Amino acid sequence: MESNDVFRTKKKISWVLLRILEVFLILCWIFPLIWLVITSLKLEGEVVTKNFTFWPQHPTFANYTKAFTSTYILNWMWNSLVVSTVTMLLTVAVDAPIAYAFAKINFKGKNVLFWAVMAGMMVPFQVLIVPLYLQFNSYGMVNTLTAALLPRVAMPIGIFILKQFFEDIPSALEEAAFIDGANRFTIFHRIILPLGKASIMTVVILSFINAWNDFLWPLIVINDTVKYTITVGIANFQGTQGTQYSLIMAGAAIASLPQIVFFLIFRKQIIEGIAMSGIKG
Amino acid sequence: MIPGNKDTRDGILFSLPFLVIFALFMVYPLLFGLYISFFKWNILSTPQFCGMQNYIGLFHDQKFYTSLWHTVEFVLITTPVLLVMGFAMALAVTGKSPLRDLMETVFFLPYIFSMTVVATLWAWLMQKDFGIFNQVIVSLGGSRVSWLTNDKWAIWSVCIATFWWTAGFNMVLFTAGIKQIPKEVYESAQIDGANYWQCLNHITIPLVSHTTILCLILQVIASFNVFGQVYVMTGGGPAGSTRVLVQYIYENGFQYFKMGYSAAMSYILFIIVLLVSVLQYVLLGRKKEE
Repeated sequence: MESNDVFRTKKKISWVLLRILEVFLILCWIFPLIWLVITSLKLEGEVVTKNFTFWPQHPTFANYTKAFTSTYILNWMWNSLVVSTVTMLLTVAVDAPIAYAFAKINFKGKNVLFWAVMAGMMVPFQVLIVPLYLQFNSYGMVNTLTAALLPRVAMPIGIFILKQFFEDIPSALEEAAFIDGANRFTIFHRIILPLGKASIMTVVILSFINAWNDFLWPLIVINDTVKYTITVGIANFQGTQGTQYSLIMAGAAIASLPQIVFFLIFRKQIIEGIAMSGIKG
Repeated sequence: MIPGNKDTRDGILFSLPFLVIFALFMVYPLLFGLYISFFKWNILSTPQFCGMQNYIGLFHDQKFYTSLWHTVEFVLITTPVLLVMGFAMALAVTGKSPLRDLMETVFFLPYIFSMTVVATLWAWLMQKDFGIFNQVIVSLGGSRVSWLTNDKWAIWSVCIATFWWTAGFNMVLFTAGIKQIPKEVYESAQIDGANYWQCLNHITIPLVSHTTILCLILQVIASFNVFGQVYVMTGGGPAGSTRVLVQYIYENGFQYFKMGYSAAMSYILFIIVLLVSVLQYVLLGRKKEE
């Protein structure tokens, strides 16, 4: 009996220790973000000082006001919003039909085409930066948001996700619709799109986030400070504002707000979307 | 599938919108890049054919070698650590802890932030005079660490920021892999008296090997393409000690305007990534079949 009690106590202690360890890890992991917010609420004088204090002595939104009034952060946010939204819409508009074709239509050359498109996933983007720049330069489109977003639409990852899903839609539904005289376009519109809604949502969310986070290409193709996307703007914050850490952190907080909102709403879809591209791959 | 329909016409019509964009902004630049890698070209002048000169030049370029080495170093440091971290997090998240949902959210959270935000944040955390890391070290009686300005530490500092940023991504992949293992396998092992570590060694690790291979390949590709963190956190410094290959490609193309040279370099990187991926696939794929 007693040894049983000892065993139970031991188990309880190790349970408690494990939970303490977990809480500690959670705090460590979240700490940089907390520090970002704390810094952004301090005056620069409190930040750049040897008299270190953890909490802001005089919490202030001055850095946020300053970020909005003395930098182009609103323009950058708007540019990123435009780039991400258009990328997302275009991606779904071109990815869904071809994913349907790959999943359900037996046409000549399908296999070759499929592998050619999938091979596109192997191409690292920086191989394309020089030729793409020259290409957009020759169209006179350097320094435009259109140039900043088009290359991302050519990336085939969304097709891959959608195809897996469309394949699972029972063909009997299509066949029944065919017999009723529906054509491909009606079927795509009335059956595939509504039934594939979840996977389309995944592609929408992932393409938006990826476009929002794009850095190398917008850095190259956009030269005007006003036309920067938010990622490029934040990276250049240091240059234009001297080095005011409290202001930079306020800018970083503002820049991250849309993603945080997005994440809070779509947490499940985002995580599932990533998991899915893994499992079936 | 259905007699009398127009499969070929429909197939092509449905594929066309994507294929146009794909041809214009993927296939064409890929070929065009290869073409200009055989030319000397600084945008303003007319391109001059120079044969293999750009590629030969690369092999005599000390900066190319050091940049390539820094990239390889980054790959060698981040890949194993990120795989182990992702797996450990996935174990925590799929376990019986009441905190597992919270942990999943918190560990994944950094991944949704853009790389520039992550990099500026960590540059601030690691700032030498006023950054919190050094403030804590000093208040504990230590001396300040030059996280980003010491040529030995800088690459590690960038790696640490990268761990924090992307470990959650691997966690999600591993979590999905672990959840696919049938519960019955664990149950019958427990009936046979297997403890946690035995289950881990003989069930979990072997049964997620498919995910491990996928993570490994994705991670190596991602790490070879590293650029943003380095560019924002150290600018490639101090004295070029963290300059990675993509940064050198960027500098050649868009600061020195050596378009052909830059294109040649990006093709070398492409070939390296391709070879490493194929090699991993073949080696690991074969090992699995045995």
